[in-house]
Amino acid sequence: MSKATKHVQEELEMDMTPMIDCVFLLMIFFVLVIDLSQQDLEDLILPKALYAVPDDQPADVRPIVNIAQSGNIIYKKNQWADPKVADKQYTEDIHKLLVYWRDNVCKKENIKKETVGGGMTMTVVDDPVLIRADKWTEWHYVGKFMTACTQKDAAFWKLELAMSEEDKEAKLQK
Amino acid sequence: MRDLIREQVDEEFEMDMTPMIDVVFLLIIFFLCIDFKVLEAKLPAYLPKDVGAHSTDVEPQEKLEIKIVCTNWGTESPRYKKRPEGSYRLEGHQIHWEVGPKKLREIDKLLEELKRIAKDKSKMQTDPKTGEPKLMGVVVEPTEETTYGDVALTVDAVTNAGFTDVNFGGGMGARGSAEADKRRSMRSGR
Repeated sequence: MSKATKHVQEELEMDMTPMIDCVFLLMIFFVLVIDLSQQDLEDLILPKALYAVPDDQPADVRPIVNIAQSGNIIYKKNQWADPKVADKQYTEDIHKLLVYWRDNVCKKENIKKETVGGGMTMTVVDDPVLIRADKWTEWHYVGKFMTACTQKDAAFWKLELAMSEEDKEAKLQK
Repeated sequence: MRDLIREQVDEEFEMDMTPMIDVVFLLIIFFLCIDFKVLEAKLPAYLPKDVGAHSTDVEPQEKLEIKIVCTNWGTESPRYKKRPEGSYRLEGHQIHWEVGPKKLREIDKLLEELKRIAKDKSKMQTDPKTGEPKLMGVVVEPTEETTYGDVALTVDAVTNAGFTDVNFGGGMGARGSAEADKRRSMRSGR
């Protein structure tokens, strides 16, 4: 083989390193930006808590409800209940969401029969519900949601109130 | 021949900047994206399991009632300057807490009172399930015009004082509704 031929062959060898680097960069970018777990979360300003537990190890199954300042109940970007409609309809729509969770989202083994006061047996859901509401959302709407949770055919009893580890509103004002 | 070797040695000493630039880009992307992550925390709360059950043979246990009363709703100001039609923040929103006969206007005072109660041995109860002694439960009673932030602040103080059994009670009515007005007038007339 002549020297010239060898030289041409060397030049034709493609260096894959930059391409692999770019692929890795893109992968990391999309993994960080399109975090599926964040899709449940609406853009709300949560109140700051000092003594809350960090939400770093959530339960395997945990429906997340977002309650906007308007009182709208949002689950996975869909609005399930609107307080502008009649009060009765609002309550019924919340109830529909809870029944949907119980039938389709919650683990069957976590829906248990329990003996409560007076020897009565109730079927309760042991999966927790995370309530995310804006700092200035009227408690009335959160209370409505909680009341619906206690109803016999919903029976969610474990709640988690979402808080923020930092005062985001103060940050916005700066 | 000697020139060829020198050239080769020079080539080996040329520093390849590509990996360093890659790492810098990775770090930039990482720190740009990490800001989007929401730092969230949670406070546990429980609802009664026996709503609708008419229990007569279970002795009701005493609970500490904390009422949250809104004294001034405040002024609604746009939260985002660029989107004034979006969400609002309340300026001058005021509340107070009622723990038994005591009216407390500052969260620090509430915390102090709750810690005092938590230390009181007469407030210990026997857990009906385990038979073990436990601190009495707390019922947070938000009234009309109180917000999620007000309740969160209260539950945060309750948790800090050492209470673990937190329930919610109270009746409300949306702001401006006839139900809320009725409740307010009933309370002020008391």
